[in-house]
Order: sequence, then structure tokens, then C-alpha cells
Amino acid sequence: MKDMHSVHRPTRRAFLRTAAGAVANLASVGILQACGGVSAPTTAPSRGAAELVTPATPLTPAAPGGANAPTAAVSDAGAAASSSTMVQPAQKLTIAYNAFENNITPFTLTLGSMPNVHDLIMLVYDTLFWSQNDVEPEPWLAEKAEASADRLVWTVTLRSGITWHDGVPLTADDVKFTFEYYQKFAGVSGRYAHHVGDMPPFDRAEVVDPLTVRLFYRAAAPTFMILPGGDLPILPQHIWEKVTEPAKASKDLPVGSGPYKVVEIQPDQLYRLQANDRYFKGRPTVNELVLPIVQDPSAAFASLQTGQVDFVARNVPPELIAQFGRQPSLKMVKGTRLESTQLYFNARKPPLSDTRLRKAISLAVDNQAVLQTVLLGHGRPGRDGFIHPDSPWALPGGGHDFDAARAVQMLDTAGYTQKDTDGIRKTPTGSRLEFSVLVSSFAPQDLRATQLIAQQVSAVGVKLNVEALDPATLRQRRQGPADQIPPYDAYVGNLESHGHVDPDGLYYFFHSPGAKGFGSGIAGYGNARFDQLSEQAAVTLDLTARKGLLHEMQRILADEIPVIVYFYPDGDYAYRPAAYNGWVSDPGHGIFTKRSFLPGYKRAAGMLPTVGLAAAQSPRDDAAE
Amino acid sequence: MIRHTARAIAQYTLVLLGAIVLNFALPRLAPGNPIDFLLPPEQAGILTPMQRQQALSQFGLDQPIPVQFARYLGGLTRGDLLYSVRYGRPVRDLIAERLPWTLLLVGTAIALATLIGTLLGFRSAWRRGTAEDIAYLSLVILADSLPVFFVGMMLILVFAVQLGLFPIYGAVPTTTATGVAFVVAVGKRLTLPLATLTLASIGPIYLVARSALMSELQEDYVLMAEAKGLDRRGVRRHAQRNALLPLWTVALLNLGTLVGGATIVETVFSYPGLGRLIYQSVIARDYPVLQGTFLLLSVSVIAANFIADVAYPLLDPRVRRPVGVSA
Repeated sequence: MKDMHSVHRPTRRAFLRTAAGAVANLASVGILQACGGVSAPTTAPSRGAAELVTPATPLTPAAPGGANAPTAAVSDAGAAASSSTMVQPAQKLTIAYNAFENNITPFTLTLGSMPNVHDLIMLVYDTLFWSQNDVEPEPWLAEKAEASADRLVWTVTLRSGITWHDGVPLTADDVKFTFEYYQKFAGVSGRYAHHVGDMPPFDRAEVVDPLTVRLFYRAAAPTFMILPGGDLPILPQHIWEKVTEPAKASKDLPVGSGPYKVVEIQPDQLYRLQANDRYFKGRPTVNELVLPIVQDPSAAFASLQTGQVDFVARNVPPELIAQFGRQPSLKMVKGTRLESTQLYFNARKPPLSDTRLRKAISLAVDNQAVLQTVLLGHGRPGRDGFIHPDSPWALPGGGHDFDAARAVQMLDTAGYTQKDTDGIRKTPTGSRLEFSVLVSSFAPQDLRATQLIAQQVSAVGVKLNVEALDPATLRQRRQGPADQIPPYDAYVGNLESHGHVDPDGLYYFFHSPGAKGFGSGIAGYGNARFDQLSEQAAVTLDLTARKGLLHEMQRILADEIPVIVYFYPDGDYAYRPAAYNGWVSDPGHGIFTKRSFLPGYKRAAGMLPTVGLAAAQSPRDDAAE
Repeated sequence: MIRHTARAIAQYTLVLLGAIVLNFALPRLAPGNPIDFLLPPEQAGILTPMQRQQALSQFGLDQPIPVQFARYLGGLTRGDLLYSVRYGRPVRDLIAERLPWTLLLVGTAIALATLIGTLLGFRSAWRRGTAEDIAYLSLVILADSLPVFFVGMMLILVFAVQLGLFPIYGAVPTTTATGVAFVVAVGKRLTLPLATLTLASIGPIYLVARSALMSELQEDYVLMAEAKGLDRRGVRRHAQRNALLPLWTVALLNLGTLVGGATIVETVFSYPGLGRLIYQSVIARDYPVLQGTFLLLSVSVIAANFIADVAYPLLDPRVRRPVGVSA
């Protein structure tokens, strides 16, 4: 009975809140316009209620399962309203951020705050489109981008009237400069450069007029709007042209065009960001963001409980979800960063180069059980096709084959019939099927999951030894001398949305070792058919055809198992609604996204009851308390 | 005396030189390298040789090891500790930003722990075998054996979450407070990490103080004083003065490690000290930062030893050299 109560009440509350939110948004736009065009949004001449509760972009209805529309549900919000729960612009919001990222420029990141780092950058900078998670991303700095028929040339038209934080106008010269600069400093521009120099292969840029720039590619770039369009931070030329050593440029406050200006940096302590009043998407809804660096997750969530911070830019640990769901001062919301945890085989090293062996190991993995035990069910089981099910490129209906009997049969047929005294199988040449799996010692969840999987796999006669290593050692162990097969057997890694929504992600991760893709660095997997498909997909102009190719590639992965995905963790976020309730659940970004601080997007409040329901229904949550 | 001091200085210089070489070599002996951390792990293996060269050359890490060592030594003579790979800033600045917080946190904790440990230890020794002694002993050993992060989390749970008295993270307030308000806020943020670190450091000092006073109390001169009819307070005063000597050494050696920061406490409370910097730089194999911070640590340990050496004779007449004879 108690449970029933807790399920029903938030539903009604949430409905009212969303309803009120729409009204509040209307009101705030009204105020903005009354203020005399401080930052009247330039996109639409009239912004009615319908637009306020949907993303300002004409989202493609084609997006699979609506997965790529920011937030779901509760759009029938126009009717009732109560003044107590309006989406209010907030004066100041304190967000516990997980690591220091120097002065927040693309060249000086420490990358310690993965997976948040891109969204932090994007508070300060802008991309041409937003975001990489949508097949047809929303025009952002760009008003539009038109391609030549062969997709070798893209003509980008910028919005007019955009300025950098220091007042200098943002023009086509900046865009041209940006692409050339990333190309020049590919070695130090962190995660961003490979979408300039490599895929799609940028050639040169040409300024047509102050608002038009033409980008030339060496191969067709059909997904230009997604990557680099939805990913690459555009840089101010007048700042960076003087910088000859970008990796050493972390002294000054950054200058971007984004919704927030950095006004204070206390190294290792906090960032203070001030709303960019002249932002072209409208005045940000929170005036000041304070981002204290709180490294320890327990301390971060304790700070949230006490109200010392209003939001923690991390997933709520599964053990805390039920407890937080009951706390009246906190709200839980589901979003997703499209995260995944997976084991990569060294598919070049015998006997793991035998597809049947890898497939048999995968068949012995009961990833549902792993998900229940490690994440208490707060996630989705891994799929053999690798790609996150919410990615627009995911193979529909893909899953994981768990069939221990078939695994045994497969190993027998493949000739691994001899057994050692402890029941571990041997190759025909007599070496034991015993492999080491390298796991970061900083990832306790990955360690637990891998230990469970090792247990499951031992039942079919294959032994996995879990080796916990510090990240630097792990990275070194993964790399072999050039042109040689590295000596490791398998390792466990994590990915966020960038790896799953990149249309060329599969190319990068699983193309054969060599000049193309990340092949040798990731798994050493090689399949000529796969290589051909991935190269073809990259230059396939038609969306449906490209999806078809990507689906086929996922089927190949599912058959040949260069990788075993353990699970895709849910994004469960907790915030204090009293401080701010305008959070937007932006797929691929979670709720720590620039869209959460911009007017005109559907708010996440309506998602709440789902979370409450899941928490109340999961018996494991009670057991965990 | 002069010859003795000269020899001591020569010895310490030699140790310092050894430390400089080791500080340069040790980080490079660990597996992995700093450049891999400029990219997400999935991409770390895919830098082309040219890109890797470009990244390395910005930090002078593309040079042969002897050249790097020469640059490091050359930098030292100019007071330049080179650039951090991870932070992209001069190591000297990174240290300068964090040193004050470490001095505040660890320095205060050492002072408090020394004071409290000494007082409790003396009290225990004086009342040896009583319930009071046993209670102190058990409590101090318990506090000493609990892991530091656990003590920190417990203090957070009780004093921050339950009672709401203190902030949980950071050294400076998230507001733009200045003046007195700023000082008060910094003090509040200091309280829990300071308490944790103090609790964790009392143990050894308490034990030294207790055993030092206990052994003094068994000395003949104490028996003599008691036999002469000196009152209890007088006896205690004499014994305590002598028992302070080993504590002086312990306190100075503690001071030497001060600039190493307190990694665990700084991490739990997100305190921006040198311990966290060192820890993160070890993870990222940030050679220049490791060289710089280890050097600072070596210098201060050596300096503390030197001070202890030089000052000991001033405190304890028994180890003074017979000046008249050698002169």
C-alpha cells in the first residue's frame, strides 16, 4: 500500500509541474521580449506553447523509437497549472563536477572528468550543429549547411549577429581557422582532431563571405552535420591564431561563443560561469553556474543530500537510487549518456583469434545476471552488435545470445576437448584456455562485473583471470611494439555516447589494424568484409542505405564477437528541484547539457514517475538498503 | 664545530643530488607515459608517430633522456620546474597554488596532533595502568588503526549530513565572499579535513610521548627527586622536560613530510593540496610535476633532518660537543 502511494503521488505532482512549466516558460519568454530584445531567440518569429514544450529544432520523425528527441512523455501540458512548481529561471546553481579540466579549452583538457568533459566544453563553446546524437542535428551556429551532390563540398551559412564572449563577431573566418587549426595540431587536440584529419577527411576551407564558409573534403562526407558538425567546438581565431603551443594555453580564461562565460577558475577547486546575456539561443535560464570540483563520489552525493550542491554531474550509484527516490528534497530523473562497459578481445592473438572460441565465451556470459548484480538492474544488458540500443545506428532487435550448452558444444566442435585437471580446456596443441583480462583498478564496477563473468565462463571450461591495473599501466599493456601483435589477451573499457552515435564509430573501433581506424589500438579484430562495409558506409550518401550497411556490420560483430558488451548503464540523475527544475534530458548527454540551461526545450520533470516506479518495483533495491 | 657543520652540509648536498637524480628517474621507470593521457583511452593507441612527436615536443619529452635531464637541471638552476603535461602550465605555478592549502591543512594538523598527542601521552604515562591510561591508549590505537578515508566519511556523515554543521568539499566557499566572511568560510571548510587528519596523526606521537615519559619516570634522578621529597608536580616537570626530546625529533620529521600533503584526506574532502596534485600526476605519469613535487618533498625532508641535527645539541646538553677541547 505504501508503495502504491509513492508511485501515484509523484505522477500527479509531475504532471502539474510540467503543466506549470509550460506556462512559466511562456511567461519568461514574454518577459524577455518585453525587455527589449536583449536576446530574443532568432530562430522562430513566434514561439507558441507547442514549441515551448518540444525541442526548438524540427526533429526528424525518423529518429528510431523517438529515442533521439530530448525527453519523452508528458506533452499534454498546456491545460492545468499551479504556481508552486513553475520552471523558474534560477539565480545560481551549484553543480558538483567530477574533475578539474584546466581552463576548459579543447586543447587543454585533462580528460579526467569523462564522460562529462564534452558537455562542460559545450557550455563555453558552440558547434555548428547540436548534437552528434541526432541523425539530423539542430542548426546551431550554422543556419544551414548545403552539400554538393557528391558530398565533397559543404557550404555552411552561419547565423548573423553572433559574437564571441569578448564582443568580437563570430564569422566564417573563425570556422575556416578552426578546421585548419585542429588539422595542424592533431596531436594535441585531444578527442576532437580525428574528425577533422581522418573521418571525414578535411582538405581545405574557403571563406565565401563573412557568414559563408565552404569546406572541401577528400572523400564524401555525408554525415558532416553530425560529425564534425555536431561535435567540433568552433574556436575564436583572434585568440588562437597567436597560440603556437595549444597544450600550454591553460593560463587565461577561455573565450567561446557558448551560453556561459567562465569568470573564475580556482585550480582543482571550482569554476564560476556567468550566463552569456547575448546568447543567440536566448538568455540562459540560470544566471550563474558554480562548479566545485568534488572528486569523491560519496562526498558529492552527501553534498547533494545536505543541499551544499544542487546537482551532481554523475550517475547516482545503483545502491542510492531507491533512497534518493524517497527523499522529498531530491528528484530523480532518467536520462542517458549512451554509456557502455565492454570487454575487448585481442582478436589477433592465438587462440583468441579463433572466432569460435570468442563466440563460445560470449555464449557462456549471462549478462542479465551481471546487470542485476552489479547495477541492481539499472541499465540494459549488452548487445552482441556492440552499438547502444538508443543510438540512431543501432541494429533493431539486436541482443545477446546466452546459451551455455551451445558454448560447450561449440568448444567441443572447435577441438578444445582436452581438459586439464582443474577442468580448464586446452587447445589441440596443449595450451590451457586461460586468459588474463585487464581492468582498471579505478573502476570497481567493471572489476565486479568481470569477476562475475569469469565465474560464468569457467563453467564451460575457459578461465579468465581478472587483473586490476592502474590506468597508465593498462594502457601500456595494451600497446605492443609497432607492427607486432600486442601481448595482452583482453581488457575492459568504458564508452560514452560519442563512441556509439558516431556514424563512423564502428569503422574506428573494428576496422582491421593498419592505417585506417583505431584497429590496432582497440581489439586487433580484422574481417575483410567488415572493412569493406565500414569504408563504404562512410561515403554512402543515402541515409537508409548507410543504416543498412551499419546494421550488417553489427550482425558481423554479433557473429564474431571481437567484443562482449556487459551492459549499458542507465543515466540516473538526482537534483534539488527547489534550486532549479528546468533540467532537460538530452539523449547522449544526460541532463548536464547546455540544453538544460536554454529556454525553449521540454523539461525533464515529466520523466520522474518512471524512475519512482522502477525503484519501487525492484526488489533488489530494498535488499540493498 | 665548524668542521662538523661543513661535513654535515657536504653530506646533505650529496643526498640532495641523489634525490634529484632519483626524482628524475623514478617517474620514467613506471610503465606508461604522459602523452597517452592527452586522449581518451580508446584512442590513446592511435596517434600517428608524427602526432605523437608533436605532442611530446611541446613538453620537450621527445628529446633523448640525457638531454631531458640536462634541461631539468638547467631549469633547476633558474628555479624553473618545466611544464606540466596534464595541466599545460608551469609546475612552479601549480605548486605555488596548492602549497598554501597544504601548509594550512597539514601544518595545522601536525601542530594539533603533536600538542594533543603529547598531552594525552604524558597524562597516560603519569597515570600508567589506571583506567584512564587504558582508555586513552585504546581510543588512540583505535583512531590510528581506522583507515583515514573511513574516518573522513564518518565525520562527513555525522557532522555534515546529520548535523549539517560543516561543508563537505573544497577549501574556498562557492560564494564570492571576501574579508572576514571568506576567512570564516575557509575555516569551516577546513574543520572536517583537519579533524580527520589530526585524528589520523595522533597515534605515533601519543605512543612516543607515553613511552618517553614512562622511561624517564624510571630514571634514577626521578627516584632521587622523590626521595628528596620533591612534590609530585615538581617530579613531573623534571621528567617531562626530558621526555620532550624524542618528541622534538618526531615533530620535525613530521614537518619534513608536510609538503607531501595528505593525499587521502585531500581526495575525500576535495581539498586542493599538493597530495592530490602528486596523486593525480602519478596516475597521469606527469613527469615534470612529479619531478618538481618530489624535489620539494626531498628538500624539505632533508632540511628538517638538518634542522633536527643542528638543533638537537642546543636542546640536549648531553650530546653537545666539548667545544673547548676541539678548538
